[in-house]
Amino acid sequence: MPFDATDIGLSIVKIAIVLFMMLNITPIMVWVERRGSALIQDRPGPNRVGPFGLFQSFADALKFILKEDIVPARAHKWLYTLAPAFGLLPALTTIAVVPWGRSFKLPEKVWFGQRFFEGRPLFEPVVADVSAGILVVFALASLAVYGITIAGWSSNNKYSLFGAIRASAQMISYELSLTLAAVSVLLVAGSLRLTDVVWHQTGYFVLFDTVKIPAWNVFSPAMWISFIVFGVSAFAETNRLPFDFAEAEAELVAGYHTEYSSMKFALFFMAEYMAMGTMSALIATLYLGGWDIPWYNEPATWQGFVLSALFFLIKVVFLLFVFVWVRWTIPRLKYDILMKIGWKVFLPLAVLNTLVVAAFIAAGWI
Amino acid sequence: MIPTHYFLILSAILFTIGVVGVLTRKNGITIFMSIELMVNAVNLTFLAYARQFHQVHGLIFVFFIMAIAAAEAAVGLAIFITLFHHRNTIDVDEANLMHW
Amino acid sequence: MEFAIFFFFAAVAVIFALVVVLHRNPVVGALSLVASFFALAVMYVLLEAPFLAALQVIVYAGAIMVLFLFVIMLLNLQHVAEPVTRPIQQFLGYTTAAAFGVGLLYYIVKYAVFEKLPDGPFHADAHTIGITLFEAYVFPFEMVSILLLAAIVGALLLSGRTYQKREAT
Repeated sequence: MPFDATDIGLSIVKIAIVLFMMLNITPIMVWVERRGSALIQDRPGPNRVGPFGLFQSFADALKFILKEDIVPARAHKWLYTLAPAFGLLPALTTIAVVPWGRSFKLPEKVWFGQRFFEGRPLFEPVVADVSAGILVVFALASLAVYGITIAGWSSNNKYSLFGAIRASAQMISYELSLTLAAVSVLLVAGSLRLTDVVWHQTGYFVLFDTVKIPAWNVFSPAMWISFIVFGVSAFAETNRLPFDFAEAEAELVAGYHTEYSSMKFALFFMAEYMAMGTMSALIATLYLGGWDIPWYNEPATWQGFVLSALFFLIKVVFLLFVFVWVRWTIPRLKYDILMKIGWKVFLPLAVLNTLVVAAFIAAGWI
Repeated sequence: MIPTHYFLILSAILFTIGVVGVLTRKNGITIFMSIELMVNAVNLTFLAYARQFHQVHGLIFVFFIMAIAAAEAAVGLAIFITLFHHRNTIDVDEANLMHW
Repeated sequence: MEFAIFFFFAAVAVIFALVVVLHRNPVVGALSLVASFFALAVMYVLLEAPFLAALQVIVYAGAIMVLFLFVIMLLNLQHVAEPVTRPIQQFLGYTTAAAFGVGLLYYIVKYAVFEKLPDGPFHADAHTIGITLFEAYVFPFEMVSILLLAAIVGALLLSGRTYQKREAT
């Protein structure tokens, strides 16, 4: 396909924006987690390093950089160093197919005597609008298992191996319910592209001929079960409480990253928060209408684009706060109960929801 | 547009490497992985021809091959685990009860 | 541009396939196979089938190889001594494979060089595959689901929990 300078330039701008947002999630979420957990547990939290402890993330980053980087004695050196990269790969790449704003036609401008954007090309705020959009997300998310398994195995520590095996078994089990829960959304939207899924959710449900509700998937009764299943599986996929057997603090020392220190541990940390960010973006796109502003028809100009991107950010931030909220409220489940409900409760529920949505579509109600 | 015979040559190279693995190694898991490599080379051939003749049947074949290869991997590894519990070795030459 | 991508990922696929076949440690072999599958998925995208590329990563790299890694790690196979192939078997194996490979390449170059592709777009998306699957191939589809059930039952039985250790006869 013909690439010209405009396409490449716009792609670079989009990649820069998305990468900037993803890399900034970790320091901000560290602060949110620590102050949020303090709020829930009725204690002050970090409040010494700057006003309201806002510079705590800088202090943490400095600590990680200055710590000594060790490799355990009989660990497999190559795999030990490669494992954090495996963890970071799905977190950074899956955000490429998520649309984060409304598309608009670029206006023709003259800067420095050069005409730009002739022919008014469409600015599509997705880094990669692949036709098999959501499958790319699932494909890359299934690579997250390798980061944990290799980290636990290569540390040459049986507690790390236990944590890694338990966490990988949990992740591959909940991947199934994650995928099947998303299938019902895709059936209704009729396409695998995430941009089509969001466009399907612009519009309104009209109740009793007067009340207009935005046509987000979370407001459609056929999708409620799949929303719950997807939310729970998102917690299981990102290894957050109540499913955090990978870390399991106070149980397995620190699970699969017991033997990691300094920047490699920081990479695992970053990968976990970025995976949280990606999952929140996915939940917002599939169920909460993505960049759609409720009760407002965004115009196809750059002002509409900025507003829609802002609303997307608000939804993602709200979901990130829900992640933190649930972590400090719900206790950890016992491992066999977790595996049992993964296979015996959530997977049948997801299949049931797919059948229900398929029946509704066949009957013409959706 | 990359010509189709490029993909066919790549597929032939991967298939040959898989054949080398199956014929020369004695580690059961490595033989199994070489077989998976051969299956993937065949998948690539199917897709190359599907694009050459613009037929979707090649894609359906690849779809079924992936499903069946998953089932085969699961059962093959289960058989391998049973063999390992019996003989406590991964050398496939030790699985010789029916040898003359 | 596409040629650069093709040659790079073809080289990745071939190099990691060689590592799988030649390295002693099965864990390194399994991870190299994952890398090789990933490179093959890029090949599928170059062949205008992104749906199957994503499926390749989900099924092969994300599920089957995880299964391989679990088996290798749980059976602690990296500590079992790697059996050494006898030289005569190695020599015969390499020569047979080389002869086979050379023959295959010869026949490809002789008979399978196509000049041009047919016109029009190639619809390899989920919609076309779904329709073909449920109209022309519905019987194999149902058969594959029964086969997967048989595979699950078989795998569970073979590696079941109430395993009695039988003596090696």
